[in-house]
Amino acid sequence: MRQAGAYSGLLSGGIGARTGPHSLPLARIKKIMKRSASGSTAAGDEVRMISGEAPIVFSKACELFVEELTRRAWAVTVRGKRRTLHKDDVAAAIAATDIFDFLVELVSESNGNSSGGSGRVLS
Amino acid sequence: MVGGGGGAAADRDANSIKSAAAPEVREQDRFMPIANVIRIMRRVLPAYAKISDDAKETIQECVSEYISFITGEANERCQREQRKTITADDVLWAMSKLGFDDYVHPLALYLRQYRQLEGGDHRLPIVIKPPPPHAPQNFAAVPNPNANANAVPAMQQYQMHQYLGHDAYGNGTVGGYYAARGVFGGPDHESGGSSSSQLFPAAMQAMPNFDHPFGFK
Repeated sequence: MRQAGAYSGLLSGGIGARTGPHSLPLARIKKIMKRSASGSTAAGDEVRMISGEAPIVFSKACELFVEELTRRAWAVTVRGKRRTLHKDDVAAAIAATDIFDFLVELVSESNGNSSGGSGRVLS
Repeated sequence: MVGGGGGAAADRDANSIKSAAAPEVREQDRFMPIANVIRIMRRVLPAYAKISDDAKETIQECVSEYISFITGEANERCQREQRKTITADDVLWAMSKLGFDDYVHPLALYLRQYRQLEGGDHRLPIVIKPPPPHAPQNFAAVPNPNANANAVPAMQQYQMHQYLGHDAYGNGTVGGYYAARGVFGGPDHESGGSSSSQLFPAAMQAMPNFDHPFGFK
């Protein structure tokens, strides 16, 4: 049960029980990490283990990441005198931010993803 | 037809028609739940702002890409150093290396707070060292049957150590960076004769000073 107290207001969303009731799911984070770690490991290398704390760091890091990306994208929206944040605004924010270079390819894909399975249509 | 690579195609063939439509990885496993993503976005947007569906999905995908990106770098570090486990320290190191060093301090803070709240279970072993042999103790005296007279002074000789073992910051002892700065109380911490049931007296009472820069090797 989540306890209110000295720590609950300190960070956005608080900590409470585990990482808080609204934070990102740790199991999901771990799955994504595993896919990434095993993908870059050559055949014959051992599979990387993931400490319990690593997903916890990511749960907070992803919040910071989403917040930053959203703020930057919204700035583009505002400059365009609009009130609806579109994918193009996200793409513009990515293009304008050096540390988001790893995302350039992701937002330039016109239809779905190259690494199969999703069948999503982004339009 | 969605191409999932040779392995996926072979699996599909082997499993015949019934699972032909099954993707190699379920979509919901590849991304953070979109509701969570939207909630985080709304925190930084004005109330009147609208978000298009494609923007939500794009950011959802970006999050997974971010995790993969950082993890890849952290994983390479583990490989170079021949370690089997990707730790929180590796993740923080990778973030700093890849340009997200602004995140490191708030994340380190978050991690420490998490440890303080959760550490009582299993992560932070409490070691109570027995008192050193007490030469001046007068064993010739009539033994006190209830032994309470000895209990209080004996307690003061106990040292309560909190340590993280080989912790996530790559340091061997006492919480590394943070213990050295007295956040966890460190080995010098005096329990002040308080009861041994008080597990983290320093941590629970003091708000640490966060002025120290978070230095990385």
